[in-house]
Amino acid sequence: MSAIKKLFGIVWSLMGIGIIPLVIMQAMKEIAAKPSEENWIFWSIVIVVLMPIIAFSLITFGIFALKGEYDVLE
Amino acid sequence: MAQNVTNVSQTEEVSSTRRVIAASSVGTLIEWYDFYIFGTLAKIISEQFFPKDNPTAALLATLATFAAGFVIRPFGALFFGRLGDLIGRKYTFLVTLVIMGGSTFAIGLVPGYKTIGFFAPAIVFALRLLQGLALGGEYGGAATYVAEHSPAGHRGFWTSFIQTTATLGLFLALGVILIVRQTLGVETFSDWGWRIPFILSSLLVGVSIFIRMRMSESPMFVKMKKEGKTSANPLAESFKKKDNLKMVLIALLGATAGQGVVWYTGQFYALSFLQNACNVEFVQSNLIISIALLIGTPFFIVFGALSDKIGRKYIMMAGMLIAVIAYKPIYQAMYDEATLKTKVEIVDKTTVETKEAVKGTDTITTKITKKSYEDGTTYKETVKTTIPLDPVKKAELAAADKLKPETKKEVTLPSNSYYKMIGFVLIQVIFVTMVYGPIAAFLVEIFPTRIRYTSMSLPYHIGNGVFGGLVPLISTRLVEATRPAPGLPPADPLAGLMYPILIASVSFVIGMLYISNKTNNMDVE
Repeated sequence: MSAIKKLFGIVWSLMGIGIIPLVIMQAMKEIAAKPSEENWIFWSIVIVVLMPIIAFSLITFGIFALKGEYDVLE
Repeated sequence: MAQNVTNVSQTEEVSSTRRVIAASSVGTLIEWYDFYIFGTLAKIISEQFFPKDNPTAALLATLATFAAGFVIRPFGALFFGRLGDLIGRKYTFLVTLVIMGGSTFAIGLVPGYKTIGFFAPAIVFALRLLQGLALGGEYGGAATYVAEHSPAGHRGFWTSFIQTTATLGLFLALGVILIVRQTLGVETFSDWGWRIPFILSSLLVGVSIFIRMRMSESPMFVKMKKEGKTSANPLAESFKKKDNLKMVLIALLGATAGQGVVWYTGQFYALSFLQNACNVEFVQSNLIISIALLIGTPFFIVFGALSDKIGRKYIMMAGMLIAVIAYKPIYQAMYDEATLKTKVEIVDKTTVETKEAVKGTDTITTKITKKSYEDGTTYKETVKTTIPLDPVKKAELAAADKLKPETKKEVTLPSNSYYKMIGFVLIQVIFVTMVYGPIAAFLVEIFPTRIRYTSMSLPYHIGNGVFGGLVPLISTRLVEATRPAPGLPPADPLAGLMYPILIASVSFVIGMLYISNKTNNMDVE
């Protein structure tokens, strides 16, 4: 179980890192296609609020998991 | 004799715990009510304070609806959580109640945009932020306060009463709005009647403050303070110390994020789906949600109590997993129940009525088409076209493609479909009760008393405010992306479910892998 937890730690960290360019590229693509106020507000909320929370928490959580910090919680 | 003394002592303890639960729950319920009436009346508030022709006001409208919901709530959690760990639970959540009640009452009194101009949206925006701040501080305080009074082994049961308050608050908000709207009529309600639910809040808050003033401080906090063991800096201790930070992260990613999206999907998105994708009429759609909420609410207590027996983890995870699997079939069934495509129209009963009236500088043409179907469904379509009397202005608007008519579609379901819809929403409310019923006890038990208020409040409000609060915005956006052209129906009305399904799936995997099921027996020390 401990090995699986650590292995998934890599997955969470990679997900956290991967989400940053993915969201930014999607935002740029959609705003370029339709630069409406609605689009700007939506993507600002996603980039300023949601993305940093997801990225920071997944990366940090993944590192902790990889280091075995959650092994004691079995 | 000794037995009698023990019995009297136990009876007093139970009675005291009941008073604690009642005082905490009533206040929290009122705070949720206050918070939800703004969201439920967003359309009317927008018309009163945030006119569409003023872009800054329109921007404030969007921010007021979302910002207070997700950005400010976590700040409230940090601010009041810190206070609660420094000076005590009782006074802190008394302050949040006063702030929430005061801002709600004030929103009901703010003059409209037509009277005081830009000050109106600015004041309402500021008051909405105060509401979000207060809500961020309230829940953690109430849950902590009740948990610290509860006997070990019954914490899931006692805190589940706090868990009922968010749903009951929404139910109360919908109920009060429906009653006031039906009593005054739609026009009067839109004109000034919408202020009544806000003003009514002051009475409820007054009663709640009176009850809370008479309560004593949490015994665990008092003991800790006497021993000089309170935290000097709860924020730093909660988020800078690795041992606490890792628990904050697991609480967020493995529990509250998934719980937040299930909560918002089962209640708010269900209402939005009924009204926008299924076009179910306003009163009927609100009644469907209200009845499902009322029937489902006792299950918060059922699952809270069950979590004392079998652990918090498996109930919460089962709720997330079943929700992930069942959402698409449930929403497909809801859509099929209301769609007119499969219903047989009684052509003889179709009526078309056209009215034309001059209002101010505009001619307003209203075309109302009413249709009946063999299964008892009725459909009403109102197409309203506003054309300026001034030919120059008319030509300008036509050139800018702004003379498009407003179309309102209303489907009224027959009894059979109506009850089925209640059933579909009720199933989702049961998922909500599974993930939400045990979560207060779970959060309370993974953090130590000295930083509990701060530590548990932040993951709760990020999970619910950010991950959950964004469900309506992101899901609506995902559905809109499938619309082939403006005015045409979306190709995939269920596309909005992708967001809650994805978040709940990740949360489920993290929860199953990393959360322990043994926390239910931990002592709150």
